[in-house]
Amino acid sequence: MNSIFTSLRRTPYQTFAALSVLFFTLLLSGGIFITLSFLQGLLNYVETRPRVIVYFQVKTPEKDIFAIRDKIKATNKATEITYISQKEAYKIYKKSTENDPLLLEMTSPDILPASLEIDAIKPEYLPEIAEFVSGMPGVDEVQYQKDIINNLLNLTSTIRKTASFFFAYLMVMSIIVLTTTLSFKIALKRDEIQVLKLLGATNSYIRAPFVNESITLGILATVFANTILIGLMLTLNAVLTNFFAGIPPLTLFIGTVSLQVWPFNLVFILFTLGVTSIFSLFITLVSSYTATNRYL
Amino acid sequence: MISFQNVAVRYPLGNIALDGATFEIEENEFVYLVGPSGAGKTTILRLILHDLVPTEGAITIDDIEFSSKKFNQTAQLRQKIGVVFQDFKILPDDNVFENVAISMEIKGYPESEIRKQVEEALSLTGIFDKKMLFPAQLSAGEIQRIAISRAIVGNRKILLADEPTGNLDPKTAWDIMRIFKKLGKNKTILFATHNTDIVNSMRRRVLVLKDGHIIKDKKKGGYRQ
Repeated sequence: MNSIFTSLRRTPYQTFAALSVLFFTLLLSGGIFITLSFLQGLLNYVETRPRVIVYFQVKTPEKDIFAIRDKIKATNKATEITYISQKEAYKIYKKSTENDPLLLEMTSPDILPASLEIDAIKPEYLPEIAEFVSGMPGVDEVQYQKDIINNLLNLTSTIRKTASFFFAYLMVMSIIVLTTTLSFKIALKRDEIQVLKLLGATNSYIRAPFVNESITLGILATVFANTILIGLMLTLNAVLTNFFAGIPPLTLFIGTVSLQVWPFNLVFILFTLGVTSIFSLFITLVSSYTATNRYL
Repeated sequence: MISFQNVAVRYPLGNIALDGATFEIEENEFVYLVGPSGAGKTTILRLILHDLVPTEGAITIDDIEFSSKKFNQTAQLRQKIGVVFQDFKILPDDNVFENVAISMEIKGYPESEIRKQVEEALSLTGIFDKKMLFPAQLSAGEIQRIAISRAIVGNRKILLADEPTGNLDPKTAWDIMRIFKKLGKNKTILFATHNTDIVNSMRRRVLVLKDGHIIKDKKKGGYRQ
């Protein structure tokens, strides 16, 4: 460890350049990761809001409606199916027209249709569910917010693509800058490397100090970047709690694991630390291997 | 232990560094390589170190043939060989102790063993008192001693020395020769020099080279230019 810090001290400008590049890359990547996780959590929440509403002909018996409800359940594409009977529909209508008694006088419970309100597991399932029920006996009309769903799906897809591109760009840029900085450092030690090779040093022995140095820089940069990111998250937690008061805890799904992203919490902070550490390790390993390979 | 069979090194423009070199060196044998500058002494040492690949012939050490460019165990081969280079090849940023210790660190020795062997080698070569100094603070003769110390630590079976007394005053040169004489009991040594006094002082095997050819192989002889 001492030899690593001695070597870093002996080349202060290159050390500072490499550390700065890594720090800004990790700070930006961490910031983007937190923002995207939050947005994705928000989208996951918003995506569950649109639903398919199936209206039935007024004379459709309740048992037929329940049969259709069971068939939809069997598809495993719906999270929740709510049955609104003709009486309940009338109650809702009555409440919504309480300021207009004339409209209420013209309506009786018999002319309002019963309906099923279906929440889908994913918004992609909404058109499939709509198509599935539209041909069934007794079904009068199927409604779902096609435009809203399409817009949401487009937005999600655009954000994912932009984020992937930005992450890749940041990674490539930092690898290039770090490789160049390390190459410069290694070039100064070219003669030393030649001597070590003549003495019988293996490639991994020659590579080790450079890899260790860059990993140390990566660890330092990760610590600095995460100190700022954690401070930022704690500040935002306090500031934005009132602003997002009506929104329930937001969750991100990674495979089968769900991670609460809002309000920011210890698990999410540790997850962010893990992501930036892996990112940092990847950049430092690739850079040091690429830089040393030129002289081995 | 070391075998050269019809080994040649020819450069593309027709320069011949070594031609038809055939000889065998037994374990713990002390061999002088003598001849004028450009005779092929350093070429033989570089070939043994696999720093140079022959254009013809076969070289083996301990029955391992490594004349091909495709030989991929260079590091393992070099770990058997200690070298005193003509131009020292000392690491300028490391102190005397570190310069010698590196030879053992490469082979993965534990720290306690490194300290023991390095201090012994520095005492043997007479620069123990200067172990914390850096090369820039030392004379050419002292740097030469670092190079020798580095070559003799780490239980390397073969010792190659390329003009190891070249930069030394006569007294120091004889001191160094006494060290080599001691080491010769349990190491195979190839000692390249054109110092006739040194060769004649120890009656050992002499390979005489001229223009890339071995012109004499004296089992226990002297040498006159």
